[in-house]
Amino acid sequence: MSCEYCEDAKTKKSEGGRAKTSARVIALLGQPNSGKSTLFNTLTGGRQHVGNWPGKTVEKKDGAFKHKGRQYIAADLPGSYSLSAGSEEEIVTRDYIAGGDADVVCILADASQLERSLYMLADFAPLNVPAILLLNMMDVAKEKGIAVDAKLLEERLGIPVVPFVASDPKSYGAFYDALENAGTVIRTPPVFPETAASSTGKPAEPDVLAVADIKFKWIETLLEGAVKKTKESAAAFSRFDRIATSNISGKLLAIAIGIVGLIAAMIPFFAIGGAATLLPSLLGPPAAAFLQNLGLGAFLTSLVVGSVLNTFVFAIGMAAFVFGITFVFGLLEDVGYMARVSFVFDGVMSKLGLQGKAIMPFFVSLGCTIGGTAGTRVIDTWGQRVLAMALLWAVPCAAILSVIPILANIFFGWGTLFVMLGVFAVMALHIMITAKVFGRSLVPEKERIGMIMELPPYHKPKWGLIFKAMLLRSKDIFLRAYKVVFVITVLFFCLTWTADGNAENSVIYKAGHLIDPVARFFGLSWQLFMAFIAAAFAKEAVLGVLSALYLGSGNIFESAVSKSTETAANFGAVLAEAVSKPEALAFIFAVSFTVPCVSALVSTYLENHSLKWTLRIAGYYVATALLLSLVVFRVSSLFF
Amino acid sequence: MQSIVNSKPGTIGNVAKLEGGFRFLSRVTAIGLTPGCPVEVLRNEKNLPVLLYSRDTMIALSRREGEKIILEVST
Repeated sequence: MSCEYCEDAKTKKSEGGRAKTSARVIALLGQPNSGKSTLFNTLTGGRQHVGNWPGKTVEKKDGAFKHKGRQYIAADLPGSYSLSAGSEEEIVTRDYIAGGDADVVCILADASQLERSLYMLADFAPLNVPAILLLNMMDVAKEKGIAVDAKLLEERLGIPVVPFVASDPKSYGAFYDALENAGTVIRTPPVFPETAASSTGKPAEPDVLAVADIKFKWIETLLEGAVKKTKESAAAFSRFDRIATSNISGKLLAIAIGIVGLIAAMIPFFAIGGAATLLPSLLGPPAAAFLQNLGLGAFLTSLVVGSVLNTFVFAIGMAAFVFGITFVFGLLEDVGYMARVSFVFDGVMSKLGLQGKAIMPFFVSLGCTIGGTAGTRVIDTWGQRVLAMALLWAVPCAAILSVIPILANIFFGWGTLFVMLGVFAVMALHIMITAKVFGRSLVPEKERIGMIMELPPYHKPKWGLIFKAMLLRSKDIFLRAYKVVFVITVLFFCLTWTADGNAENSVIYKAGHLIDPVARFFGLSWQLFMAFIAAAFAKEAVLGVLSALYLGSGNIFESAVSKSTETAANFGAVLAEAVSKPEALAFIFAVSFTVPCVSALVSTYLENHSLKWTLRIAGYYVATALLLSLVVFRVSSLFF
Repeated sequence: MQSIVNSKPGTIGNVAKLEGGFRFLSRVTAIGLTPGCPVEVLRNEKNLPVLLYSRDTMIALSRREGEKIILEVST
C-alpha cells in the first residue's frame, strides 16, 4: 500500500532532482499523550494514508501538506515511551529514523512534565539526525506555574526548540519557520558506556538502569535553570479520579459513560442513516420508470435501482454510525478519560491480551458491530486492535438480539429465556477461545507486558479538531464502503434475482437444493442454510429470507437489503411445522455467531486495512458457526 | 523497604530497587521510574493495578509489575 498524497509529493520531489527542493519528509516522534496525533491531524487533515509497515503488525500513518508553496510529507511514527525497549513499534521507529528517510525529526515533549517527557529526546539524541524539539502544552504548563526558557534549551541542544500548543493551529507559526530552516543535529547527546560482548559472542544487553540514569542526568543538566516552577506541584488526585479509578464505582462509571456514548453516537446514525433509508422508496419508483423508458430491461433496471440506492443507504448509515462512535470515543480519549477505563478493566482485558480500554468497543458491539469495530481506534497497537475486532464479532448485535427471541419463541415458548442465556454463555466461551486462537500471532506472548502507563491529566476537549478529523475519516469510510458493499450487493442481487418474483426461480434457491446434503451434515435444512448465508449479509434478513424460502412469499434480495423483519402471517405455524427443534436451535446459534454482517466485515477491513486478516477472521467465524451448529444439533437431538 | 504492591495508599518514598528483565526495566525507566526517584502511592486495591505519582505524572502499574519495584519509605 502506498500513500497517494505522498506519492504525489514524492514525484514533485524527484522532479526537483536529488536536491531536496520540493517535498521535505518530516517524522513525528513522541510519547503517548504528547499531542503527536493532534499535530499530525492538524497538519495533514484529510490527506492521510493509513496502512501497515511492510511485513509488520505495526500501523504506518503518513500524510502530505503544503506550507508557503513547499510540499511536506509527514510520517507519524509508532512508538511508546522510548526507542529502546525492543517492542516491534520501537524497532520500526528506530530503523526508520536511523535509515535517514526523514529530513527532520520533530520530537514532541509535554512542557507541563518536561523532565519525564524528554526521555524520548535523550533516547533519540545519539542517532545523530536533524531534529526540532516541540514543547507542546505550553498552556497547561503555564496554568501549572511552569515557565520554560526555550531559547536557553535551543542554545544547549543546538537544534530549534519551539514552544507551541498542538491543539491551537494559530500557534504553529514558529513551528513552520523551524521546519523550513531545520537541519542541525543535537550538539551534545548523552554518552553511554560501551556494552562488552558477552561470553556467548552476542552483544550483551546494556545495563538498563545505568543507561536510564545517564539519560535522566543529561535531562537534568539540560533543564537546569531553563525550567522555573512558581507553584509547588502536588499529587493531583482529584475527587473525580478517586471515583474513576476505584474498583466498583470506576467500573460502573465506565459502563455508564460507555452506554451514554453509544446513545449519543446513535443520534447521527438515526438522523442521517434514517433519512437515507427513505431514499429507495422515494427515488426507487421514478428511477426505475426512467431507466425503463431508456430501454433497459427488467433485470438491469432492478439491478441499478436496487443496488445503487441500497448500497448508498448501507454506506451512509455506516459512515454516520462510525462518525458518532469515533467522535464520542475520540473525545473521551482526548480528555484523558480512556486511560482510567484501561486502569479499572486491566484485570479482565489483559487476560484476553488486550488493554483495559478495549472493553468500550465491546459495549458498543451489543448495539452494532460496526460501531465496535470503529471504536477499537482507541486501542494503541495494531495487533491488539485486530485482535479486539476478531473478538467483537462474537458479541451479538442488536439486530440478532431482536431476531433470536422471535425465532426461539416459535419453537420453545418460555424456553426462549434459556436460549438467550445460552447465546451469552457461548459468547463468553467464544471470546476466550478466539482470543487464544488469534492472540498468539497478533499479540505475541513476548510482547505482553503488564500495564505500565501514564494516566494523563484531564484536558479540555478540542471539539472542533476532533469533529473535523472524524468527519474526514467518515467521508473516507463512506467512499470506500460504497465501493466494497456495492460489489457484494450486486453479487447477492444476481444470486437472488427472478424474472417473475418467485423465489423458487432464483439461482440461490436452485443451488440450495444441491447443497442440501452438506447443510444436513451441519444440522440445517437447505432453507436454513440459505438464511444462514443471508445472515452474513444482514442479520435482520434471516426472518425475511426464511419467509421467502418456506412460504415462497416476498423477495429474498428485498428482505435482505431493506433489513425488513416482515414475515407472512402464518410464518410461525409453517416454520414450526417444517423445522425440527434441534434444527431450529442449531440455526439460532449458527446465525448468532457467523459473520455479523457485510457492513461489519467491510468496516473491519477498513479499520485494520489487512485483507488477509479480515478474510482469515471471516473464514474462522463461518467455520466455527457451522461447527457450533453441528454440535448444537447433535447434542439437542438427544433431548428433543 | 517494601514493594509497591505492599505499600498503603499515601505512602511516600523513593525507589530503592528495580528488579526484572530488560523489557520491564526499559519500559519502567522510560515512564520515569528510576532508582532514587520520589514516589507517592495513590491507590492500591486488590483487584486493580497500583496507582503512583512520580515526576509530575500519575502512573499505573499492574500488580505483577509493581512487585518488582521496591520502595524506601520515608513516611
